[in-house]
Amino acid sequence: MPSLNMNADPKRPTLRKNRFSLPSLEGWLYVLPSFLLFIIFLFYPMVRTVYLSFFYTDTQGKPLSFAGWENFTTLLSSTSFLTSAKATFLFVLYTVPVGVILALVLALLANQKMKGIGFFRTIFSSTMGMSVAASSVIWMFIYNPSIGIANKILNFFGLADMHFLLDPNTALLSVAIATIWMNTGFTFLILLGGLQNIDSQLYESARIAGVSSYYSFRKITIPMLSPTLFFVLTVTMINSFQSFGQIDILTKGGPTDSTNVIVYSIYKDAFINYNIGSASAQAVILFLCVFILTVIQFKLGERKVHYQ
Amino acid sequence: MTIGKKIFLYLLLILSGFIMFFPIVYAFMISFMQGGEVLQGKLIPENFTLTNYINAFEKVPLLRYLINSLVVSTVIMLGQLLLCSLAAFAFVFTKFKGKNLLFMLFISTMMIPWEATMVPNFQTVQSLGWLNSFPGLTIPFFAMAFGTFLLRQQFKTIPIELYEASQVSGISRFKFFLTVVLPISKTSLITLGIYCFLTAWNMYLWPLLVTNDEKVRTVQIGLKQMQTQEIASEWGVVMAGVMLVILPTLLLIFVGQKRLQEGLTRGAIK
Amino acid sequence: MKKLWMVSILCMLIFMTACSNDAANTEESSGDGKTEVIFWHSMSGELENVVQEVADGFNAEQDEITVTPVFQGTYEEAITKFNTVAGTEDAPAIMQTFEVGTKYMIDSGKIQPVQKFIDDEGYDMNQWEKNITNYYSVDDTQYSMPFNSSTPVLIYNKDAFKEAGLDPEKAPETYSEIKEAAKKLTKDDQVGFSILNYGWFIEELIAVQGGLFVDNDNGRSGNAEKAVFNGEEGLKVFELISEMHKEGTFYNTGQNWDDIRAAFQSGKIAMYLDSSAGIRATVDNAPFEVGAGYLPVPDGVDRQGVIIGGASLWMAKDIDEEKQRAAWEFMKYVTTPDVQAQWHLKSGYFSINPAAYDLPVVQEEWEKYPQLKVTVDQLKNTIPSEATQGALISVFPEARQKVVSAMESLYQGVEPKEALDRAAAEIDQSLEAANRKNGSQ
Repeated sequence: MPSLNMNADPKRPTLRKNRFSLPSLEGWLYVLPSFLLFIIFLFYPMVRTVYLSFFYTDTQGKPLSFAGWENFTTLLSSTSFLTSAKATFLFVLYTVPVGVILALVLALLANQKMKGIGFFRTIFSSTMGMSVAASSVIWMFIYNPSIGIANKILNFFGLADMHFLLDPNTALLSVAIATIWMNTGFTFLILLGGLQNIDSQLYESARIAGVSSYYSFRKITIPMLSPTLFFVLTVTMINSFQSFGQIDILTKGGPTDSTNVIVYSIYKDAFINYNIGSASAQAVILFLCVFILTVIQFKLGERKVHYQ
Repeated sequence: MTIGKKIFLYLLLILSGFIMFFPIVYAFMISFMQGGEVLQGKLIPENFTLTNYINAFEKVPLLRYLINSLVVSTVIMLGQLLLCSLAAFAFVFTKFKGKNLLFMLFISTMMIPWEATMVPNFQTVQSLGWLNSFPGLTIPFFAMAFGTFLLRQQFKTIPIELYEASQVSGISRFKFFLTVVLPISKTSLITLGIYCFLTAWNMYLWPLLVTNDEKVRTVQIGLKQMQTQEIASEWGVVMAGVMLVILPTLLLIFVGQKRLQEGLTRGAIK
Repeated sequence: MKKLWMVSILCMLIFMTACSNDAANTEESSGDGKTEVIFWHSMSGELENVVQEVADGFNAEQDEITVTPVFQGTYEEAITKFNTVAGTEDAPAIMQTFEVGTKYMIDSGKIQPVQKFIDDEGYDMNQWEKNITNYYSVDDTQYSMPFNSSTPVLIYNKDAFKEAGLDPEKAPETYSEIKEAAKKLTKDDQVGFSILNYGWFIEELIAVQGGLFVDNDNGRSGNAEKAVFNGEEGLKVFELISEMHKEGTFYNTGQNWDDIRAAFQSGKIAMYLDSSAGIRATVDNAPFEVGAGYLPVPDGVDRQGVIIGGASLWMAKDIDEEKQRAAWEFMKYVTTPDVQAQWHLKSGYFSINPAAYDLPVVQEEWEKYPQLKVTVDQLKNTIPSEATQGALISVFPEARQKVVSAMESLYQGVEPKEALDRAAAEIDQSLEAANRKNGSQ
C-alpha cells in the first residue's frame, strides 16, 4: 500500500545535492510521455474551452463573435448558476467529510487481526468495482417512493414515507448518500493501506506504556495516517466536484434545480442545449474554483502534516 | 483481545458489511426477476432461473464486449503504470528546470472537467485515424496525474541510502528505476493498478463516442444498450448484465486484496 | 520485475500494431460492390433487436445495398457525435433523431431533406399517416422520415376502478371526470392520478385543447420568438395538477419512466399518462387488468388530438449521391405495410403506413391487446392544425427542462400562473439568444 508522506524525510535536504546530480535532460525524458499526452488530450482542450468561453457560439459549437466577459457576467448574475454553485458546494460538503470518516471507521475495523478479515475487506472495497451507472440504477430502485426498500425500512421503524429524490429538500442529500456509498470502496482501500503501513512497534510500545487505545489512536494513528488522509481528502474532493453519472440517472438536476451541480449544468449546456459558450465559461469557473481550493488544501494540509 | 470485544467487533463487521454489500445483493436478486416483479417492488425473486443471464448474452454480444473491456482496461492499466512511474521517478530522483511548476501543471489536470475535453479529443482522435480502434480507446488515458501523484508520494519514502549505494556501484539511473524502485513499490503499483483497471472498466461516454463497431466496444456500452426509456426496461436482464460485468472486477479486488496482504506481511514495503 | 515490464511493453507494441492493421482491414472489406449504408440509432433494449431485424430483412431482399445499424447511445449522445462527424467520411448515411431535435437538424445544414427523393421519384406520400408526417414537414418540405412514433395515453387500473365502484370499461375523459375518479380511487396506500414530470406530457395536454406552445404558429411560420404555453390552455393543465396535488389525489413520481411505472405496477397509483409505445409491456407486467383511454381534456373543450412524439430518420448531406439513394431505398422499404406491421407489433410504436393496421397479424394482436387500438384511434381522430402538428423550437430540449422545473415547483406550493409565467419568461430569453445567434450568422 502507498505510504503518502507529504512531509519530506527530515534528513533529506542535506542529501539533496547527491540525488540531483544528473543532467536535467534525463529528467525531462522520463516525464516527456506523460507531458505530451497531457498537452494533446488535456491542455489543448482546456485552452480551447477558455477561448470559447469568450465567444458567442452557434449550436454547432463554432465561435461566432467575440463576447468579452459577457458569458461570465451573465452566469454570475443568473440565479440558476448561483443555485448550481450552492448545490455543488453543499454536495462536496455532504460527501467528502462523511465519506472519508466512514471509510476510516471501516478501515480501522478491517485493520484488526482476526479470522476471515480478508472476506470483510473485499466486501468493504467491493463498491469500487461497481460502475457509477450500475450503482445509480440500484439506488434509483432503493429510493423509489412506492417500491423502494428505503421507505420500507422507514415504515419498519414506524416513520412516515419520504420522497427522497423528489423533494427538493432531500434530493441532494439522497444523491450524496448514494455517492458516499459508491466512493467508500476506494477510500477504504487507500486508508487501510495507510493504516497497515504504520509501524506496529509504535502500538507495541504504547501498549507496554499502558496508554488507552483512544490515546494511541489520537497520538499514533491519526498523525501517522495524516499524509494518507490528506491525499484521500484531496482526491475525494476533486472527484466530488466532478460527480456526474449518479445525478444524470437519479435526478437529472431536479427537482427544481436542487441537484443541478455545476458539472451537470455544463453537461446540459454543452450536450443538450448546445450552448457551448456558456458551458465553456462554467467549465473555466469550475476549474478555477477547484484549483484554488486544492491550492489552499495543499498549503493548510502540508502545514498540518508538518506540525505533527 | 477479550472474547466480548471479539464478538462485538465481528458484529460490527457483519453489520457494516451487510450495509455496504446490500445494494449489490439487491442487484443480484433483481437479476433473477421476471417481467413485472421488479416494478412491483419484490425483494426476493419467485424462482432462481438463469433466463435473464441467457437473455443478457443473447441481447448484446456480451462475451465480445467483456473481452474488449478486458483488453482495453489491461492496456490502459499497463500504460498508466508505466507512464506514471516514469514521471513520478523523474519528480523524485532527478532535477530539472521547472520541475515544481511542471508538477503543479500535472496536478491541475485532475481538475479539468471532462465535458470540456470530450469533443476536442474526439476530433483529435478522428484526425489521428484512431476512431474505432484500440489505440483511440486507450492511449489518451495513459497519462494520469492522480497516479503520478500517488507514486511520487510512495517513491519519496524510499531511503536515500539505496540510491547512493546504487550510484557507488555504478548502476545506471534507469536500471536503478527498474531493479530497485519498482520492486520496492510493488504494493503501491498493485493498488494503483487495481484503481486504473477499474476506472477504465467503468468508462462509458468516451468508448461510445470513439467506437462504431461491436468488435471494439466495451461492456458499459452493452449495459446501456439493454436499458430503454419510453418502453419499460427489462431490469432483470439489465441487472444480470451488471452482475456479469462486476464479477471480473470483484474477482480482481479479491485477488488483489490477497496479493496486497502477502506483500505487506512480507514487509516488502519497508 | 524487469522482465515483467519488458514483456508488457512488448505486448503493448504488438497489440498496437495488430489493431491498427485490424482497423485498416475493416475499412477495406466493405469493398465487395455493395453500397454500405450506416444507420445510427438510439434504440436500446428489445428495440435494438427489432431494428436489426428490419435491416436484416432489407439486406436479404436485395443484393445492392447493405444496411448496418449502429447503436450510438441516447438521442443526446448520438446527436453530439453526429454533429462532430457530419461532413467527414465517418458520418452515417442515416441518422435517427428525437422529435425535439427537428429544428436543430434543419438549422444545422448537415442533412438532406427526403423531399428531394420524394419529388424525383413521384413517390406517393399519401400512403404515410398524415398526422405523423406533418410533424416532420416544414414549409411543405418533408425533412425526415418518421420512424418510431408514439403519443401519450391514459393508463388505468381496471381492478382498482371496480373496487372504487367506477366503470372499468369507461375511461375518464374530462378533467372533472379525472378528478372525481381520482378522489374515489385515493384511499389507503393508493393515490388516484399521476403525470410524469416530463415536458412532453404538458405539451400534449395543451395541444389536445388546441393550444399553442410558442408563437408564430408554433414556430411553423417563422422562428419562434415567444413562449405562449402560459396561456389559458396551459394554465388549465397546471391548475389541474396543482389542485389535485393539494387534495392528495395526485402523486408526484419524478422524472424517471420506470419510477412512474413501478408506482402503477405496485398499486401506488391507479391512473397515469404513459407513452403508447410502452403499453404492451405495462399490460404484460401488471398483476391486474389494465385499461387505456384518450388524453383527458378540460370540461367543455373539444378534443383536438395529439402531437406525435418519438423520433425520425434523417439523411446526411455531404455523402455520395449513391449512398443517399441507397438510404432512400431503405427508408422506402421500412415504410411498406408488412415491415410496418412487424414494427408496430414488436416495438409498440405506430405504423407510419396505416395499411399495416388492416393486415390480419395486426388485427389478431389488437384482439389480444385492445389497448393498442385505443392509441391508434386517438391518433387517427386527430384534427390537423398547428397545435397538433407540434412546436418547432431551436431550444426545445431546454424548454422541456424549464417546463419540468415549473411542474416540480407546483409540488412546492408555487401558484400555477406564477410557475408557468416564470418558465415562459426563461424560455423567451433562450429563444431571443438563439435567434440573435442565427441572425448574426
